[in-house]
Order: sequence, then C-alpha cells, then structure tokens
Amino acid sequence: MAASAARGAMALRTNIGRPVAFVRKIPWTAASGELREHFAQFGHVRKCTVPFDKETGFHKGMGWIHFSSEEELHNALQQENHIIDGVKLHVQPQKPKALQGDQTSDEEKDF
Amino acid sequence: MAALLRPARWLLRAAAAPYLPLSLRLLAGGPGRPHAALCLRAARARPVAGGLLSQARLHSIAAEKKNYLQEEPTSSHRRNASQFDWALMRLDNSVRRTGRIPKTLLQKVFDNTCHSGSAGGNQALLLLRSCGSLLPELKLSERTEFAHKIWDELQKLGTVYDVSHYNALLKVYLQNDHKFSPTDFLAKMEKGNIQPNRVTYQRLIAAYCNMGDIEGASTILGFMKTKDLPVTEAVFSALVTGHARSGDMENAENILTVMKEAGIEPGPDTYLALLNAYAEKGDIDHVKQTLEKVEKSDLYLMDRDLLQIILSFSKAGYPQYVPEILEKITYERRYIPDTMNLILLLVTEKLEDTALQILLACPISRESSQNDFGSFFLRHCVTMNTPAEKLKDYCKKLKEAQLHTSPLQFTLQCALVAQKLDLAKVLMKALKEEGFPIRTHYFWPLLVGHQKEKNVQGIVEVLKGMHEIGVTPDQETYVNYVFPCFDSIKSVRAVLQENGCPHDDNVFSQAELRSKAVNGNLDYILSFLESNTLPFSFSSLRGSLILGFRRSMNINLWSKITELLYKDGRYCQEPPGPTEAVGYFLYNLIDSMSDSEVQAKEEHLRQYFHQLKEMNVKIPENIYRGIRNLLDSYHVPELIKDVNILVEREKTDSRKPSSSDLESKLEKLKAENQPIGDILKQLILMLCSEENMQKALELKAKYESDMVVGGYAALINLCCRHDNAEDALNLKREFDRLDSSAVLDTGKYVRLVKVLGKHGKLQDAINILKEMKEKDVLVKDATVLSFFHILNGAALRGETETVKQLHEAIVTLGLAKPSTTLSSPLVTLYLEKDDLPAALESTIDCYEKYKILPRIHDVLCKLIEKGETELIQKAMDFVSQEQGEMTMLYDLFFAFLQTGNYKEAKKIIEVETLEKLVEMTQKLFECDRDQLYYSLLKLYKVNDDWQKADAVWNKMQEENIIPREKTLRLLAEILRNNNQEVPFDVPELWYEEEKDCPTSLPSPVEVNLQQGLLNACHRRRNKDAFNIFLTAKKQNIVFDNETYARLINLLLMKDNSTQAMQVKDFAETHIKGFTLNDAANSLLIITQVRRDYLKDALTTLKTALDLDQIPSRLAVTRLIQACALKGDTESIHDIQKLVNGLEDSIGLSRMVFINNIALAQIKNNNIDVAIESIENMLTSENQTVDPQYFGLAYLFRKVIEGQLEPALEKISIMAERLANQFAVYKPVTDLFLQLVDSGKVDDARALLQRCGAIAEQMPILLVFCIRNSQRPGKAPVMKSLLELIPELIDKEEAYTCLMKSYVFDNDVTSAKALYESLTAKNVKLNDLFLKRYAVLLKNAGESVPFTEPPESFEFYAKQLKESKETHL
Repeated sequence: MAASAARGAMALRTNIGRPVAFVRKIPWTAASGELREHFAQFGHVRKCTVPFDKETGFHKGMGWIHFSSEEELHNALQQENHIIDGVKLHVQPQKPKALQGDQTSDEEKDF
Repeated sequence: MAALLRPARWLLRAAAAPYLPLSLRLLAGGPGRPHAALCLRAARARPVAGGLLSQARLHSIAAEKKNYLQEEPTSSHRRNASQFDWALMRLDNSVRRTGRIPKTLLQKVFDNTCHSGSAGGNQALLLLRSCGSLLPELKLSERTEFAHKIWDELQKLGTVYDVSHYNALLKVYLQNDHKFSPTDFLAKMEKGNIQPNRVTYQRLIAAYCNMGDIEGASTILGFMKTKDLPVTEAVFSALVTGHARSGDMENAENILTVMKEAGIEPGPDTYLALLNAYAEKGDIDHVKQTLEKVEKSDLYLMDRDLLQIILSFSKAGYPQYVPEILEKITYERRYIPDTMNLILLLVTEKLEDTALQILLACPISRESSQNDFGSFFLRHCVTMNTPAEKLKDYCKKLKEAQLHTSPLQFTLQCALVAQKLDLAKVLMKALKEEGFPIRTHYFWPLLVGHQKEKNVQGIVEVLKGMHEIGVTPDQETYVNYVFPCFDSIKSVRAVLQENGCPHDDNVFSQAELRSKAVNGNLDYILSFLESNTLPFSFSSLRGSLILGFRRSMNINLWSKITELLYKDGRYCQEPPGPTEAVGYFLYNLIDSMSDSEVQAKEEHLRQYFHQLKEMNVKIPENIYRGIRNLLDSYHVPELIKDVNILVEREKTDSRKPSSSDLESKLEKLKAENQPIGDILKQLILMLCSEENMQKALELKAKYESDMVVGGYAALINLCCRHDNAEDALNLKREFDRLDSSAVLDTGKYVRLVKVLGKHGKLQDAINILKEMKEKDVLVKDATVLSFFHILNGAALRGETETVKQLHEAIVTLGLAKPSTTLSSPLVTLYLEKDDLPAALESTIDCYEKYKILPRIHDVLCKLIEKGETELIQKAMDFVSQEQGEMTMLYDLFFAFLQTGNYKEAKKIIEVETLEKLVEMTQKLFECDRDQLYYSLLKLYKVNDDWQKADAVWNKMQEENIIPREKTLRLLAEILRNNNQEVPFDVPELWYEEEKDCPTSLPSPVEVNLQQGLLNACHRRRNKDAFNIFLTAKKQNIVFDNETYARLINLLLMKDNSTQAMQVKDFAETHIKGFTLNDAANSLLIITQVRRDYLKDALTTLKTALDLDQIPSRLAVTRLIQACALKGDTESIHDIQKLVNGLEDSIGLSRMVFINNIALAQIKNNNIDVAIESIENMLTSENQTVDPQYFGLAYLFRKVIEGQLEPALEKISIMAERLANQFAVYKPVTDLFLQLVDSGKVDDARALLQRCGAIAEQMPILLVFCIRNSQRPGKAPVMKSLLELIPELIDKEEAYTCLMKSYVFDNDVTSAKALYESLTAKNVKLNDLFLKRYAVLLKNAGESVPFTEPPESFEFYAKQLKESKETHL
C-alpha cells in the first residue's frame, strides 16, 4: 500500500517539465497536420500525435501537442477557443508532472 | 429497475433528459412528473400496425456488471437470472435513452443468450418483444425474421413457451405488419398445448382487422363471447381498422356508436384507429373533422398519436397532408425520441422526403445551437442507401435551416464508416466544391475494410478514387493501410502500375523504408540508405529508424546505420550538422523507450555507445546532459558514463583547474595575505561536486572567517546529501550568523527539513519550515511532493511524532494545502503497523480537520482482509454520513473488488442499483408496473383470489410488461393453491425471497409511525390512528398504499367519512395512482348514502368500477334503495348500466332493480307505469326472471310502510289479477305476507279470502317463516300467520320456526300452546325443537315435562340437518 503511494509519486516525476498539451474532441476531419498547423501559432511544435485506430481508420479524437517551452504551452492554454474545422477543441495541459528541483543555484551567487 | 419491465408506453410519460453523464444519471431525479390524465391511459393497448415506439429516460449502472457476473461459476439458475438482468439492462438502457434498440445491440444480447446455453422464459419474452417497433431502423420483414430466428433458436435451447410468448409474438406481428394466418397461429398454439387467452384473441382480431378481414375477426369475436371474455376498447379499435381496411368506412364510423351502446366510451385509441383509417384513404377532411371532434371532447391525443397519423398518410402515399398534421404537434420534449423514431422508420420505408419534412419541422435544434440535429437521420439515410444526390440536397437543407453545422462532413463520415466509396466520392466532391479541403486520412476507413479482407481490387479502387479527388497517398496511407494487404511491397508497386494508379516514388520509397523499419528489418534499411538516391531529410527518417532499432537487437547494424547517417553526405550534412542530428537521434531513441526497456537493453546500449565511440561519432554536451537526465530518471545512471564518452570534448572547457590546483593557489594567496573569499568558494564548490565532504568541512574550519554565504549553501547541501544532520545544522546556524537575511534555495531547505526530521531534530526541522514561511521561499509543486516524501519516509520508518508534527507545521504554516496525498502518511503510519483502528481514526480525523479522506480505500481493503466487521461498519457509517450513501457504496464496492471479494462487490452493486434506481424510478414514474402488480398479487394471495390473479397475468401481457421471476412465482403459487393450471414456465428459486419492501428504506421514524398507525387500526382505535396520520402529515411522511387503505377503511367503518376523505385526499396527492380498494370504496358508498350524498356515492361507485373493482352488494343495494326512495329512477338506471355484467360478481339480484325502479316510479306518482312494467315482465313471453323468484316483498313493504294507499290498492289488484288470470301466485303471496308482517292482519285475511291459493304457496310461506324466525321480535307475526293459515303447523319447518321465534322473544305462553297443540296431534317432535323448548322453560323457571335432550344445540342442529339430507 505504501508502495502504491510511492509509485504514484514516481509516475509524477517521469514527465518532468515537458510542455505538452492534451487535446480532445478533435473532429474526424482533422489529423495531426491540422493540429500542428493550428498550434504553431503559439510556438514551436516539437511533436504532434493524433493516434489513429487501425481497425476503423478513424482517430479517437485525442491528440498531444509537444511544445518546446512552458511558455508556448501557456500561450496555447491562454487562448480560450481552439477551433478546427468549425469544431471547438478541448485543450488542457498534460497532467502536470512533478518537477525536479530547479538547478539555478544559490551556490553560484555571490552574496 | 427497467424500462422494459414496464410497458413502453408507460415510460413515455416521463420527460426525456437523455444526455446526462452516467454519474449524474444515477442521481438525477429528473423533471418527469407525468400528468395524471395521461396516466389513466397508460394501460392503453394498441394493436396498431407498425406502431411507433415508445421511449423513456434513462438511468443505469455500468455495463461492467457483466464481468463480475461472468466470474461466478455458480448454478445455471443464477447465471440465467444474471443473464436476464444483464440483457434487460442493456436493452432497457437503449430504450430509455433513445426509444429504440439498435439491431447490433439486440443481436449481441441474443448471441450472448445463445452462448449461455439456456434462456429463461422472461428473457425469451424480453428478446421477442424487442423485435417490433423498437427496431425502427430495420425493415418490417427483417424484424419479423429476427423474431422468428429468436423463437426457433431459443426453442432449440429448451426455452418453454407459454401464452405470454405467443402473445408477444403476435404483438410483434402486428407491429411489423406481418401477414400471417391466425388460424395457423392458433393451430400452432394448440400443438404446443397452449390455451389462448383474452389477449391472444384480442390480437388475433387485430390481425384479421389489419388485413381487412371482418369475417375472420367476427369469428374470433364470437369465440370470445362464447368464452364470456370481455370485449374491450382494443377490440373495437381493431374493428374500426378492420372495417376501414375492408373499404367500409361507414361501418368503421359505426363502430363508435356500437361501442357506446355496449357501454364503452370510445377512447383515444378508437379515435386514433379511425383517424388512421381516414389517413390511409387520404381523406384529410375527415381526419380534420375527427380531430376537431376529439379536441372538443375531453379526450386528448398525444404527439405520438399524431405522429402515427403522419405515418399513415405517408405510407399510404399522401405526403401532401403531412404538414397539416405537423402543425398540430406540440413537440413536447419527451416526444422528441418518438419523432426521431418516426423519422427513422420513414427512412427505412424509403419515405425519406417526408422524414426530412418532419425533421425540419422539429423546433428542438434551434434552441441548442451548439448541438447538431439531424445526424441520426443522415446516418440512417446512408445505411438505407438513399441516393447520393438526395443526400447532398438534404445536407444543404439542414444547413440552410441551421439545424446542422456540417451535414456534409457528417454524412461523409457515415459513408466512410459504412465504407461506401461511391457515396463518399460524391460527398467529397461536394465538399471540395464548397471549398473544404479533402485530406488523405479521409480514405483510410475505406482502405481498412479492404485491407481486412485482403481485397486488392478494393484497395486499387480507393487509390484511384483518391487520385480522382486529387489526393495523394502519403507514407502512412501506404504503410498502415495499403502494404498490409499485399505479400510484398514489390507486388504493391506492380499492382499499382498495372492498374494505372499513379504514385509518388519518393513517398512510396519512404513508406517502404518505414514499413521495413517497423518489422525490424535493419539490413534492408542499411542497404537502402547506402543505395538510396532520393533526397531524404534525416528527420523524415528518424521515426522509422527508431522503430527499427527498437525492433532489432543487432547492435552492429545500429552502429553501422548511425555511422552512415553521421558520415554520409546525403543525410546529416545540412545545419545543424551530424553531431546535433545524431545526438538528437540518440536522445529520441532513449526517450522513446520506457524505463524498463532501457534497463533491459542496458548492455546493448552500452555496446552501441562504445561502438559509436570507436566510429568517432560525437554528440554535443547539451544533448548529453539531456540524455543523462533521461537515464537518471530511468534509474540506469550506470549508462551515463558510457554516453559521456561521446561528448564532443573539443568544445568543452579543458582549461578548468583541478581542486588541488585551486587549493595550492588558495594557500599561496593566504600566505600573501591576499583576499581568498572568491577562490575559497570556488574550491568548496568543486569539492562539493566531487562529493568530498571531509575535505570541504576541513577547509571551512580552516578558513572560517573567509567563508561567504554561497560556500555555506553548498556545504549545507553537501552535508544533507551525506545525511550529516549535525554539521548541516551547525553550518546553517553559521550561515544565519553571517547574514540573517540570506535565503537558501527551496530544495536546500527541503533537504534540511528531511535530514533534521530523520535525525529526530524535530524542533529544528520545524524552525526551518518556519523560516521558509517567514522568508517567503517559493513553494512549487515539486516542493509539495518533497514534503510528501519526507512525511512518507518518516511514516514508513514508523516515526509517529515526526509525521504528525511536520505535517501539522507544514499545514498550519500554509506551506502546502492538506491534500489527500500530503496527509496520507498520517494514515500510512498506522497501516504499516497494522493498527487498523488508529488508521481509521486518523482518516476520520483528517476528514474532520481537512475534509479529506486519505487512504480510505486502503483502510477499507485492510479491514475487509482482516474481517474487521465492526470497523467496516464504523467506516461505512462515517462515509455515508459525511459523503452520502452512494460514495460509501462505491468505496465499499471497490474495496471488495480490490480484495477479490467479487461476490460481495456484486451484492453491493445490486443493492445499490435496486435501491437507488428503484427509488429514482419511483420518483420519475411513481411506480414500477411489475412491482405494482406484484403487490397486487400479494393481496390476491392473501385473499386467495385466483381469478383476479389470473386477470393480472392477462393485464400484464396486455401492457407488455415482462414480469420478474418473483412475480411469476407468486402468480404460480396462487394458481396452484387453487388447483389451477399454471400457464407458464415457473422460474426456479435460486435466491432468498426478497423482503416485502425491497425498494426503499424508510427511516426509523417513518417505520415507527406507520407501525403505530397500523396497530391503532388493528385495535380499531380510529382516533389514535387518525392522530398518527396527522402527525405524519405534518412531517411530510408518506406511508404506503396499504396503510392508508387500512386507515380509510377504519374511519369509514366508524362512520367518519370526513376524516376518511381527508386521508384519501392526502394519499391521492402523495401517492401516484392511489386508489381506495374495493372494501373501502364500498364502505365509502354506504357512508355517503347514509349521509344522503347520493351523487357522491354514485361517483364513488363509478370510480370503483372503472378500477375494475367489485363493490359490495350491500353498498350497491343501499345506493339503489336510497335512489328509489328519492324517486330517482334515472340514477337507478345508470347504476344498472354501470354494473351491467357484474351482477353475479356483486351478488345483485335483478329484483333489486325491478323493486326499486317500481318504487321510484311510484314515488313519482307513476304508479300505473310501475305496475304495467311489472305485469309485463311477469306475463311476457320471454321472462327474464322466473316468476317463482319474482320477489316484490321489498316493494310491497315500502309501499305499506309509506302508507301509499292508492299504490297499495293498485298493487293489490295487480297481484290478484296475476294470480287469478295468469296463475302467478308469487306476488300475491308476497303481498299477503307483507301485510301480515306489517300487522295488517285484517287486510291480509281479506286478501286470503279473495285468493285462497295463497295458503297453498307452502314454499313461499315456509321461506317467510324461516327468515322471520332468525330475527327477534317476530313472534307476533308468526302467531298471526299461524292463525291465518293454521295448516302451516303440520309442517315441521314451520313449527320449528315458530318455536324458534317464541324462544327468541321469550314467549312461553305461545310456546306452551304450540307444544300442546303439537303433542295433541301426536306429532313426533325433533330433539332440536325439544331442546329449545326445554331451555325456554328452564330459563322461565318452569319444569320441563319431558327429558331434556342432553346434547348441545349445535349437536341437534347438525343431526337434524344430516337426517334431512339422508331423506333426500
């Protein structure tokens, strides 16, 4: 039981500082290209995935946008409406994962 | 629980709120309060062909239930029952949500049933009933086919069919317009040894009528009559249809008159049948007239009725009249699913233009601009192969009407799902014309289908289609959807060329490469890269390569490929160049793997890195750092040094001094008395990075005066890392002394807290926390997480105080919120020690302090594991009190699941669903029909009334209710107890009989009050009982039906009708469908008559009869008599009509009416009319009552009592005339006896003299004697009679009665005279007579002149009776 709590904390740590937007309700007409194009206005999209179901040939309406920086992600999240093909997307930050202690250090400062 | 347990149309009454999420659905009460007037119609049977369906709203439990069920390898009964629950739930959900069942769902449930190997009777019923109008998306013939398939398959599985199944099949036939031979059907039933019942006949009549076969219908009708089955409105409605379809509209209309004559008022169903009949003829005028007529009456047609008329018009080819009917539709929200189903049905029937018309008339969509409306229509059009051009037009219209924002796109999606290439192409072209882009992935669903079947030709067709539309297949199209269909990529190329499919070589080659990579074919990749001439960018290959690497463990190939990319001018030469590109590639490669994958491949990776090193492949340092971080987080830091060797050293600072350099430099400066602060800090930082604590501390001690804060910060951190709390704390103090305002990094504070806490320096740790607060140190999510780890570590070590105090400090200082996570160590502490009471206490404590329940799930699991029932109870009580019962049940449910207690988990979900859902449906529909009938049956069981129980069985079929097993069992029990045949397969018992009241759990207060009330009723304490009622009313507590009925009965019996009505009113307004039972209504009538509220009494009687109740004879008689005394002939005639057919059940003699009507007429001075009609009755050819039994005693008595002399005279003349001219002696004898009875002995004697035959009417006279002897005070009457007709004394019955009367009235003298005259005649007196006489004498203190018979009265009465029977 204690292990499960620790495991949870562990999982939190893995996606350290990755500015990823989780997008839902993507219309079937749009794929990763359209998403990338749309989100490019907020910053550099490192990676954009919209997985397709090989059984149906349709995607499942979800995707992930990997930005280069938190700021860019923040820009994207700031915008209220994200509309592709007339459909409003649901954009949210990928579950905030825990961050490792920032390395900016007081040791380098000359107090 | 279920919509299908209730008749579908019942559900209709509930408003639809179909889009609630599941969780809300469970809780939602919903606004559906059905209108009372509509509810009365809930039981309308509707044998209309192709009838629209019904619908309802939803609620449900998660479908996962199935899984738990499957894990239970128990008896097949249980499985069957669970199976039924599951099937019911699935279908029910669908009906509730959409008013229909998709074919796939029904198929699934059916397959599942077949798979289970057996199906219970009610499950079969469920499946069969689903095959009618609940499947609007299926052609009528397909539906029937489906029903037949189900019928046959289930029969093979051994399902036993009873009459309800046959009736269900009939219903399906009717709904599906299925042509069949009713005689064959009956023959089939006969063969199956199944007795048809009323419902069967009713539906067969409907079947004939649907074919316009009046003759056939009449045959069945005749059959029903011979069996004395009631003819209901449903039959008449069918006849309307029948006549109409046979082309005889006049007679169709006439049916309504016939009905009225038969005492049945045409209801909405009859009118609907008529309306449909006119609609089928395209007779809009008559439809309108009839509608007006209905509007003027107090009847009411629902939207769905109007929709039915629309359907009739459309199917008959008169779509032009649809708009006129549409105008009348109110579009109440709850009818939207009905409307949708009509639209679907019309599309199925290829009447899609009309369907669109209706769709466009729907007002719903405009309200909610967000949601597109009409998708269901478009989808079904696609399914039904509506022509593409039409669909395009529909899309345009929907868009113009602003019903749908993107109808073309949606329709295209449907076409793609259905893999209709031609339609898809038309739609894509249309989209393109409107300026929408056509994207490559639009074609993937089309390819998927062919790919699964390896249909090369199909693939080629789609690729050609793409070309036609102007879309080029991309890499993914080839790799994912085209290549898998072929044996080799080579053959793909060949086939494409052969069929003239143009393709981009570049894309194709990349696709090929990727496809090889996916299969881990690195040899191919290497040779491809070597021989490739196409201008590929490395980034376009990266994804494929990573896939390939991960699927192949050939490290040599990994390295060779990497080297090629690194060195070959074709690939990585453009900026930022090969170092960056390959470095990034390595980063991505590791990043794409999971930690366990990296751990597993550690050795391979090491080898790879070393080979790269040998190949002189280099990566930039910043990328190395990224990789290092990755490896760190994957817990394989051992690989870091192996990556490190690839770092491009040339660019790093090689002139960095070593620590020893720095140290000697420091000493030199010191010796020169130069300032050393800077170099000292540098040295300390370096020692820290080298993890050399000893040396660093020594250095600090040596040059303490030259230390700066930066040096201290690093040293503190170092000591913390080395778990050196003592030095860390000292350093911190020195740091503070140096500069009390200096602030450390958050991380360092946290590490200090951790170390200090760990070493028991709690107060110091808390002081650090305080400082963090005071100095406003930035607390990030990561910091909070660190706090958790500190607390959790302490909890695992069992350091209670540390956990508690630090947690307290963190929370009270406001450094972090007391979240579930942060607080969980407080509970972990005890869980680790297996101290469950303390763990639970701690959780509860957290709730009380912070409104969180940390680790409640773990606590519950442990409690369950250990079987700590008391603590579980405590936990549950707490959770349910604080967070509600639902949360508690969920918590418990998951805890049971977690601990593998599936049975218990299942039980919870059952309790939960039953209790919660039933409670909810009660609110929605006020009652569950099956439950209602179950209660009814229970009542019948108490009364042992199998006829009514049998009637319930019929009604349930009529209403299309699928009875639960317990209902069936109860029904069977009642029938068996009465030696009746059970007409269905009785489900076997596999679980404990449910308690009487499983649906809701009333509060203890309610239970107490209710019990008190029932007790008071039992003890006949009407005042107490009424007071309890008032108390409950004040608290707004509502009891069950039965309680109110009991109270009302008591109050009525105590003649307290005002209070009774008060209770009745309350019950009626608080319990849906509350009605008084037979007994109460009868009592009410009697009370009302007594109080002279005759109009009210008549209304009560009507109500009772409408409810199919049988009022008591006394109540009806009293009412009739009261009317007669008022001279209200009309009311008596009304009553006669009302009870027509029920006379025998009530026990009402026709004479009651004859007497009272005559009396009423006499009261109105219509003496001649009264006398004439009586005379006619007695002298006419077809006498309804045998003159022997034509008793007018009541009339005579009332006339005599009322001193209605003229009437008496005329009656007397009539009676004598009947006797003298027609030899009918009953009236005259009755008159004579009534005269005697009223003390008019002289009149009686005169009559006897005029009509001597009276004395010969021994049977009548004897009956009079016997009756009178049973009442006290009749001795004088008896004496007079004996005087008038002395020969009576020769009859044993007579003298026995006389003695009895004398005994009753203590008339010793007359008794003595009788005894003496009898003994004088030497009559042998029976023992009963003697016993009576003896007792009379003894009681009078006289001696008994004979030996008193020793036995009891009962003994002699019995003896006498037996001796008479043997004589007979």
